[in-house]
Amino acid sequence: MPTRSWLQSWLCITEVKRLVTKRSKAAIFTLVIVAAMLALPSAQSLPGGISGVQQSGCNCHGAVPSESVSASIEGLPESYNYSEVYELTVSFQGGPSQEGNINQGGFHLWASEGALSVNDATAQVYNENEVGHTDAGNDQVSWSVTWTAPATDKNVDFVLHVNSVNGNADGAGGGTSGDMWNKVVITLGGPIEVLEAANPFVVLGVLIIVSASLLAITLAYVFYRKDPEAFEWDNFAPWLADWLTSTDHKKIGTLYFVAGLFFLGVGGIMAMIIRIQLAVPGNDFLTQEQYNQFFTLHGTTMIFLAAMPMINGFANWMIPLQLGAADLALPRINAMSFWLQPFAALLIFTGVFSGHGADTGWTGYAPYVVSEGAHYGTTMWAAGQIMLVASSTLTGINFLTTMAVMRAPGMGWMQMPLFSWSILVANVMLFLSIPAFGVGLIQVYLDRVVGTAFYDIAAGGDPLLWSHLFWYFGHPEVYVVIVPSFGIISEVIATSSRRSVFGYRSMVYALAGIGIVAFIVYGHHMFTSGMSPTLRFVTMLTTMLVAVPTGIKIFNWLMTMHGGSLVYRTHTLWALGFLVTFTLGGISGMFFPSIAMDTHLHESYFVVAHFHYVLVGGTVFGFFAGIYYWWPKATGKMLSEKLGVLHFLTAFVSYNALFWPMHRLGVWGMTRRHHTYFVTTEEALGSLPMEAAGWNMFITVSGFLFFFSNFIMVFNMIVSSVRGEDAPDDPWGGWSFEWMTTSPPPAHTLYRLDDGSWGLPTLKDANEHIANEPGLLSSWFQRLMVSDDEIEEASH
Amino acid sequence: MSGDHHPSAWGPHDWRHGAPHNSWSPFILSLGVAIFLFTLAGAFKFGEFQGWGSVPLIFVGLGVIGFSLLVWWRQDMSFGVDGEVFEPKSAGAPFQNIDIRKVAMWMFLMSEMMVFTSLFSTYMRYRFGIPNCQTVFESGEWVEGTSVTCFEPAGHLIASSWFHIAPGAINTFALIISSFTIVQALRYAKKKDMDEDVRRRKVTRYLGTTWLLAILFLTLKMIEWFVGFPLPEFLHEFNHGDSSIKSLYAEGYLINADSYQHHAYDTHYIEAHPDDYSIPEDSALYAMMQAGTHPGGHMMANIQVSATTFYVTTGTHGAHVLGGIVGLTYMTLKAARGGYTPDNAVSIEYFGLYWHFVDLVWVLVFPFFYLY
Amino acid sequence: MSVMTPIFEGLWEHYIFWSVLVGGFAFGWLYHHSFWFTSKDGDKLPNVDEIEIGVFPKHNDDMRLEVAWTILPFILIVWLTYYSWQPLDAMWTSTDGGAHGYECDYDDPGYTGSNNVMHSDGIITSDCYHVIEITGQQWFWSFDCLELERSLCDTGTETMEVYGSVPVLALQKGETYLAVMESVDVTHSPWFQHLGTKEDVLPGQQTTLWLPVFDSMTEESMVLCAEYCGDAHSVMAAKLVVHN
Repeated sequence: MPTRSWLQSWLCITEVKRLVTKRSKAAIFTLVIVAAMLALPSAQSLPGGISGVQQSGCNCHGAVPSESVSASIEGLPESYNYSEVYELTVSFQGGPSQEGNINQGGFHLWASEGALSVNDATAQVYNENEVGHTDAGNDQVSWSVTWTAPATDKNVDFVLHVNSVNGNADGAGGGTSGDMWNKVVITLGGPIEVLEAANPFVVLGVLIIVSASLLAITLAYVFYRKDPEAFEWDNFAPWLADWLTSTDHKKIGTLYFVAGLFFLGVGGIMAMIIRIQLAVPGNDFLTQEQYNQFFTLHGTTMIFLAAMPMINGFANWMIPLQLGAADLALPRINAMSFWLQPFAALLIFTGVFSGHGADTGWTGYAPYVVSEGAHYGTTMWAAGQIMLVASSTLTGINFLTTMAVMRAPGMGWMQMPLFSWSILVANVMLFLSIPAFGVGLIQVYLDRVVGTAFYDIAAGGDPLLWSHLFWYFGHPEVYVVIVPSFGIISEVIATSSRRSVFGYRSMVYALAGIGIVAFIVYGHHMFTSGMSPTLRFVTMLTTMLVAVPTGIKIFNWLMTMHGGSLVYRTHTLWALGFLVTFTLGGISGMFFPSIAMDTHLHESYFVVAHFHYVLVGGTVFGFFAGIYYWWPKATGKMLSEKLGVLHFLTAFVSYNALFWPMHRLGVWGMTRRHHTYFVTTEEALGSLPMEAAGWNMFITVSGFLFFFSNFIMVFNMIVSSVRGEDAPDDPWGGWSFEWMTTSPPPAHTLYRLDDGSWGLPTLKDANEHIANEPGLLSSWFQRLMVSDDEIEEASH
Repeated sequence: MSGDHHPSAWGPHDWRHGAPHNSWSPFILSLGVAIFLFTLAGAFKFGEFQGWGSVPLIFVGLGVIGFSLLVWWRQDMSFGVDGEVFEPKSAGAPFQNIDIRKVAMWMFLMSEMMVFTSLFSTYMRYRFGIPNCQTVFESGEWVEGTSVTCFEPAGHLIASSWFHIAPGAINTFALIISSFTIVQALRYAKKKDMDEDVRRRKVTRYLGTTWLLAILFLTLKMIEWFVGFPLPEFLHEFNHGDSSIKSLYAEGYLINADSYQHHAYDTHYIEAHPDDYSIPEDSALYAMMQAGTHPGGHMMANIQVSATTFYVTTGTHGAHVLGGIVGLTYMTLKAARGGYTPDNAVSIEYFGLYWHFVDLVWVLVFPFFYLY
Repeated sequence: MSVMTPIFEGLWEHYIFWSVLVGGFAFGWLYHHSFWFTSKDGDKLPNVDEIEIGVFPKHNDDMRLEVAWTILPFILIVWLTYYSWQPLDAMWTSTDGGAHGYECDYDDPGYTGSNNVMHSDGIITSDCYHVIEITGQQWFWSFDCLELERSLCDTGTETMEVYGSVPVLALQKGETYLAVMESVDVTHSPWFQHLGTKEDVLPGQQTTLWLPVFDSMTEESMVLCAEYCGDAHSVMAAKLVVHN
């Protein structure tokens, strides 16, 4: 397996290679890694994996290894010389083997590197990594084999299995009764010492710990920068406590961003590990079991711990500012929404640290999710998400209340900025759908903990019930993460074009339309689930409808540019990039409701390509646009345009190179959630055509480029915080209230009023209709409302 | 700017300042919830008790949650005590001049509605998707000694006797009455032309009554689930001759009941008690019994799903009552301190909204799970 | 090696046509506007809509355009729905006298097999169909030919270089099969790659899947598990062999 070792050494972020050549320079870095690995003993106690390479070919007798059998390999050096040939003697002692047995025992030897061969008829070669005994050699207790060492520096693992048998081979039960076996693992280094092949979990753990430490150092540094004179614990503790206890919407918004970007990085690292595994066919960099956990946590992290917090970050910062309010309606509830998330993240990741992370996919289909076969990290995965559900519910209540009650005078529903509208629609969808998911998760948690029987098949449980509860939430959820980006893009395109957004009203109706359609299309995730064909047909019709409101939005954005004067700034570029990628993602989405195509495309890489086109090309590109757009307002510092453009160009190109080929792979038959794939060669049948291997390597390389290109933005942020130019109050020429206050705004937001004083603003309206006049629906609704003042009057 | 004002994150707030107030409560509450969910899963796996190791930690988690609530309340205690009231009102249409907290409460109840809708959907799916145990029994398609999977509504047990249904029925009235008493508390708290001490006593008394009724609700529920109760002798004849009402636990109506038996599904028992039970003459089982080919005496059923939906749905409602009790404890104490005046009586109204919702849910739970 | 079925290919090409048309239109528009309506920062910018801070800007809309791009996409999706509709009748056809007739009556003297025919749109109809059973289990497939003749349906195992030992299902070209499927443990889903079809296999419930084996199919293809089912999900494979 040459690819295996190559990728493993690559995984150590090439530092390992550098260590060999430039040992002195890399020594400190290595120490950090080694220290972090030692600090993670629990991550080492992992199951051996079921890749099958070490075990295959050894039909060991009996279920458990027996201590009384001891196996050994003689003739191995302390460390090997390049390409040298070693004569090995494999033997064992103990167990039931006796003189005169028909069968005394057998062996199976696996070597991770180099080549094994045999000397006589008592042993046979399976492949160059595996040898075992033959029929002629199964009445012995020792065998001799030859091992040719590899030509480069490797760590070589030998796994030897031996059977010690009692000779009742022709007796009842296949003759394995009373037999014993054992295994021994020996590791051997080359002339130049190479670091242990990294366990992916250790790598992830190390990366998380290193990033968390970096976060801590950054925190300390940010505090230091604030006031270098006062850099001491007595000042640091209250400063930190202030962040932990703050109910200020701006501070909480910042916390959401820090958490969201951190987990975007963690999810990205997991994606990269997944891509290394898929770079070549038949790779065994990850075992299946590890791969299953990685894609599960990648999905859960990206949706719930990266996208949702970033949305809340934007909403926390901008909603009160755009509405002309001082804070959110329920500040303490807001703090609670945030703090539930880091603790939920801890629960979700407990599995990683124990090596038994959830392996259910982010969809967690029943009954697998409640089976004992699913890792026990799944319980904590459900528990963490229950907390996230609580958090999202509170967020929904808070933002809806804020938008209902705290709009500035003069700002009717139809004068709200489109970003506020998008958050309104997203939160309506979220808080009406997420309780179903919450109840589903509680059912799973209870099934897994106290043994209830919601999804117990023997007791009549229905696997489709979970699918319905999950997708009733899951489909609105994917709109929840895309709709805020629609809002951001509407703001950015309009401001950059120096125009008012085209068709404000149809934009709002389209958003509301998406919000309504979201609830009636979820069946398209279940076209091959065994659900009744009638329901499938209905959801096929409704799913087709999604194209209408999204089409309106895309054409309106395009039309906004018409007659305007587009100013190219980084956020403009991201918005235009969004239009490209989101349109492509939208078009590929139209292939799924055509069910005869969907039966082929379902669960294939075409699906992976589609949802990454809308979730990365849509949501994340929208976030990037929003970050570049609002960063000056939030921090009071400008970001570098040069770095921003560089970020856009590298990320946009590598992004498309990363996800576009996945469409073709999907059509060819590449399956999602498979830890590996095989291509059809002239000798052997696989599931994919030959070209698939090359494209996968291309995707992996593009993936790394995309991953690293995003650090340009992080770098840009750091540079801006340290020595960025001061930002004016309205750098881009927007009209909404957030540009009316200072950059950055004061803790208790005040706006610069017309007369030069500071206070809460009133919205004026450039249109001819009478501002503040409620519409037909609104005036009808108002009649239902009895003001609390009037109630008090009445009770006098 | 008022942002300079930094009250303690533990202590009472001075609500006259509009500035954001710091609070440890959200952080600690989240920590407590995480500890609770984590340690509960450590104590049980798939219903198997895993030893006492993590049990104390469960209580640590609950303690942390309770502590965070205390911090929350401590910060609220200043709410209007000195005649100063901080009750933000809505600015924009259509909720002009409505209290913000009232709007938020309605929003909260909307999402609560979805929680119970999801639970009821689960129940409906199983109730109508799995054959009813009575139907299976009468079809004769079962073998003695082998478990059949069927749906056994709790109502079948509970509605079998007037005394069995009594706890649930009393609870229904308790909740309805408590909805009345909470409104009375609000009425007196709002009354302006009233002696302060009289108002304090009236509000405390009504809130206290509500609290007692809620406690009664949970107590009766525990009796119904786990304890059961004896009946005086003169009532035995109205209870199929049985001397006591067994708890659901004692009846074996449990989430792990994969071989549940009940005498209503026992042909011998039915033959011996023709007054209490009978098999419909048009059923397959009746024909089999006439022909002597019926499948034996006692049907065994896997009713895990039925018990699960019953306990979890009514349990979720019970948890809401428990939440109400926690809130009522605080409010009663506050009322006893004279904390409610006409200026801030709306707090009682907003709790009342929640309490009416809990009541309303029970009005749905009761017929679905107890009667039908 | 074509992995696409004629029915998929037909739909695919149709959709690609419209995608290119719609995409071309949108991107053409985007590229034109992003190069035509631009200005460098610092130019005298025409403030067409009198945008002013703190003032809700003038509406910039045109009812005719907005209605146009509501109605036109709607018409397009109505057409696409109509176009995608027809294959559904064949995919979910009834087991009693649908596109594949009734279960074959092997005692009937007139019985000559399914004799399935592919129509120009890729839809397949047959005289009658055969029933086989598929069972999913962590982590292997079991095929059961029931009482079918070995030429019609045969099962076996084979050691493949990459997947190890896998079950093999051998079917005859020109015959149509109805797979009745159930799972022993968790949800699985057999993806018959070259038939372009899959359907979940559920524990405790039966699902069915039509397998119309057509003449132009490749002789050997893979069956993979498409619904995540646990540790060895990715190697839960089988081989489909079709012969004349």
